[in-house]
Amino acid sequence: MEVNPTDYQLPCGRDIEELWDQLSADPDHTDAHQRDCPHCRTARDSLLALRAATTRLTEEQVIPPAGLTDRIMSAVRAEIRRTAAVTVPAELGPVRISEQAIAVVLRFAADQVDGVRARRCVVRARPDAPPGVIDVELSIALRYGTGPAERVLTAVREAVAAAAGNGVGVRVAGCDLRVEDIY
Amino acid sequence: MKPDTPTPGTTDLDEGTLVARARDGDVRAFEALVVRYQGAMYRLGLRMLGRSGEAEDVVQEVFLTAWRRLGTLRADAAFVTWLYRMTTNRCLNVLRARRPTVELDVDGPVSQRPDTQPERATEISGELAALTAALHELTPAQRACWLLREAHGRSYEEIAQILGTTNQAVRGRIARARAQLAEAMQPWR
Repeated sequence: MEVNPTDYQLPCGRDIEELWDQLSADPDHTDAHQRDCPHCRTARDSLLALRAATTRLTEEQVIPPAGLTDRIMSAVRAEIRRTAAVTVPAELGPVRISEQAIAVVLRFAADQVDGVRARRCVVRARPDAPPGVIDVELSIALRYGTGPAERVLTAVREAVAAAAGNGVGVRVAGCDLRVEDIY
Repeated sequence: MKPDTPTPGTTDLDEGTLVARARDGDVRAFEALVVRYQGAMYRLGLRMLGRSGEAEDVVQEVFLTAWRRLGTLRADAAFVTWLYRMTTNRCLNVLRARRPTVELDVDGPVSQRPDTQPERATEISGELAALTAALHELTPAQRACWLLREAHGRSYEEIAQILGTTNQAVRGRIARARAQLAEAMQPWR
């Protein structure tokens, strides 16, 4: 350690940090010098007292003020970005649905496939296509040992396409899947 | 369906999944991260500042900033380290801003302030009260290093990242803090 040794040196020449390391490794161990040296004994007792107080400090229940989560989340919700929307043809006229809202539905659908956790999902209306056609980019985490990745990915694609069609009323033209992690 | 419609079992998900979803604008995933980490950030803030009101403000600002800047977090960077870094920096800023008014506080010790009463009341142990008092005799940077190491179990490398300094500087500060705290604990041996 490159710190100035005099700061942590006891009058007997022993170093407080060494004493601490020794206490952390084996609290009961002392050498002949330490048993007789008043400086080492005092330092040792102080470090033991510090350690006991530190344990109390870490064990003390400090509970965040009631409603902290709610206050944070209401500030967050107030900031939610209004994202672009996809036009969906409907009987009584076209409906605009935000890309983010569609992404939630598709993520939920992918989650229903066994061994899959959806992560990022980006939905974009396909440019130059008729209304209601989207491209999807979805990253997922796969559970280890779920089976052949290809079979799982096909199931994810089907689930996403079905949810888009039945749940939202849009058609998935392109679905880019990326396996980002194994859990 | 609204973007913040609950997804089942959100709180059981691993951190990587929650962070990725939150980056994507999933409010429920972000809320799960808030629930998971607000306690640790609040404890750090309270020990750094000694005032629950200020600690709460810091935690709120940290999470709101985290929400705004999630997109800039590197995908492989540890979310919790990032939170610790923002919390520590904000606490240091609060303390820096507070310093000029110290002279005005001579009427009474900091512990008499009304907004610290609830914590003081729970400190039934004299040992713990002595340690808390001694912690506030340290410099803010020493206190931050010591708390991150001893109360939050962060590694020297991580603390160096959090404070934007070197491993050696962190080790030096913790050694100095430990020597000073041990001295203050002498009456309790």
